[in-house]
Amino acid sequence: MSSAVLEKVAGGADADGPWAVETHGLTKRFGESIAVNSVDLRIPRGCAFGYLGPNGAGKTTLIRVLLGLTRADAGTMSLLGYPVPRHRDLALARVGAIVDEPRFHGHLTGRQNLQILAAAREPAARGRISAALERVGLAHRADDRVSKYSMGMRQRLGVAACLLGDPQLLILDEPMNGLDPAGMHDMREMIHSLVAEGRTVVLSSHLLDEVERTCDAVAIVDRGKVIRQGPIAELLAGTSMEVEIDCSAPEAAQTLLVRENRGGRVTVREQGLAIALPTGTSHDAIAEMNRILVEGGISVYRLEVNQASLESWFLEVTSRLGSEE
Amino acid sequence: MTALPPQARTGSVQHVVEAELRPDDHRGSPLPTFAMIATRFMELRKRRGLMIALIAVNIGIPGVFLAIRLLAHAIAPHSYGPAGGYSVFSGLVVGILFGFGFIVAATLGCSAGAVDLTEGVFRHLVVTGRSRVALYLARIPAGLAIIVPLVAVGFTIVCSVCVFAAPAKLSYDGVNMPAGLSRSAFVSFAKSHPNQVYCDFPYRNLTSLGVPCGPNGNVGKITTPPGVTAPIPPSKAQFEATVVKIANQDYTDYSKNFRTPPLSLMVEAGMWVELEAILGFFVGLGLASLMGQRTVPVVLMIVLEVILTPLLTREVIPHMINGQRGLVGLAMNHIEPSALPHLSGLHGSGNGAGLLSESTTVAVCVIVGWLVVWTVLGAWRMATRDA
Repeated sequence: MSSAVLEKVAGGADADGPWAVETHGLTKRFGESIAVNSVDLRIPRGCAFGYLGPNGAGKTTLIRVLLGLTRADAGTMSLLGYPVPRHRDLALARVGAIVDEPRFHGHLTGRQNLQILAAAREPAARGRISAALERVGLAHRADDRVSKYSMGMRQRLGVAACLLGDPQLLILDEPMNGLDPAGMHDMREMIHSLVAEGRTVVLSSHLLDEVERTCDAVAIVDRGKVIRQGPIAELLAGTSMEVEIDCSAPEAAQTLLVRENRGGRVTVREQGLAIALPTGTSHDAIAEMNRILVEGGISVYRLEVNQASLESWFLEVTSRLGSEE
Repeated sequence: MTALPPQARTGSVQHVVEAELRPDDHRGSPLPTFAMIATRFMELRKRRGLMIALIAVNIGIPGVFLAIRLLAHAIAPHSYGPAGGYSVFSGLVVGILFGFGFIVAATLGCSAGAVDLTEGVFRHLVVTGRSRVALYLARIPAGLAIIVPLVAVGFTIVCSVCVFAAPAKLSYDGVNMPAGLSRSAFVSFAKSHPNQVYCDFPYRNLTSLGVPCGPNGNVGKITTPPGVTAPIPPSKAQFEATVVKIANQDYTDYSKNFRTPPLSLMVEAGMWVELEAILGFFVGLGLASLMGQRTVPVVLMIVLEVILTPLLTREVIPHMINGQRGLVGLAMNHIEPSALPHLSGLHGSGNGAGLLSESTTVAVCVIVGWLVVWTVLGAWRMATRDA
């Protein structure tokens, strides 16, 4: 496929189609169980998008459906503006993906594995092999057999395979698996650089901390259903922050604060209290709580304010759903 | 359905783009590109264990067998006969290259059909947007590019040794004699070597002359125990008449024996062995793609070749006779070159002698059917399975 023509396609779609991935009512069943349950998803172009969920939530199944690895039972979807599966070949021409763990022919070298994948793409893909290996830091081991690669090196090779098609959209399923801290840092930097080039990166993961550091927007999936989606900053707005207080007589302290009605949900812990407060609660209000406790004869040993993280928000959202059911 | 970009809806840009894309790339086409075939060939060729097995069976076994015979004949020519000749050729073709060639070709086919799935690479290939049928079909020329030359090399070695190291004379039932004689020349030879013909050539339904045979084809004297009347020895004319009858009986059998395999037989046998290997590859590829694994299809193919085919080509099962005729092994038996000994071990030589009856047309249809059906089944499964 000529690169210029693809640029034209991507350019046209960029101008008028804001979504890199769009699904409506996408459903996938395995017998009685529903792995993907009427998912409506919109992933904007040019961002790093996290697709979060606990194990077994249906993250990988959704990716497999999007990429045509398995068929959807209901719903519609499009990639880069192309409806799939009708224009699957055109859509996937500019998509790179790692699904599950990246697996390759162990008896071949990394370069030879990429040659096989490049042969299935446009002729220009073969010319991108060296650059892709260089970019993921595997150039020096490119001619070693993959069976000698570590898990982290296979992850890198998987990313190199994604880059062969000069993709507008990269879908990476658990790309941090098997990476050491330095490898995770490198992967994070690479994702940032890919996004900076105008590509869209969809990151499926259960590593919330990594997703928070890497992504601009997220969708939370649980039991096959997308329960929240949007930019991280927007999603965290309005969520609670937590104040931890180590003190003497925690029960008495709880009674005191509840009686004074300073807001928030106060719970007793082994060494003190935990107070959930709305995000944006001022430091003065927290100092006022400290004053009430001290004047009430309670000794305060430690007071720590924890801003809401994606992790706490995720746990809050998923536990709320669980309790609602 | 999500609204497409305005260009796509109106078709003004996207349709033009598609028209430009497809001729260049053919990504949705079911036909594989040369690059896909070449890389698939590389992937199979780099499987060291598989290649060693292929080379060992197709080249190694006949090569070692012939090398030992050559050495033995060179060291002790009176004890060990020449390494080549027609009998060695037919034995190697029918006994080794045909049967084992099928099994190793099937193993290659099973590997080609299943390794992408079992090694998790198939999904990477599907994600490229390339037609799944094209991904499947790329394996066929790649696999054939390995198995066909290998079989050809092994067969060429066998042919070369059997021609160039053939015995100087034909050994027919232990009698060294010229090959390719006409009937009259064969009878003349019999008349000039009556003792050897009488003692060594097979014959049937002839009145015994009562003449005993000694070692090395020499006619002995008629001896009787004391007190028993000695039979009248046959006259020279009676003896010669008997020898001529034996020669006439044996001429048909003799005419199927050659000092060296004839060129026409070598060509026919070569094509027959290649076809068997190609069949093995196609069936293995289709079956492994259908099942999504390698080991079980390989075992099934061995069972088909070693157990089922010999059983079902020898015994006629009245209510399954058409099912038996659909067996590819039977069809291959029927198109076996007539100058080769029968591969199923039945009496008579090739071309289906002693087998369940089947016309050549039916045999050809069965072979083509097996090639097509297994290819279609494999392609269908690869196109529809979850990657």
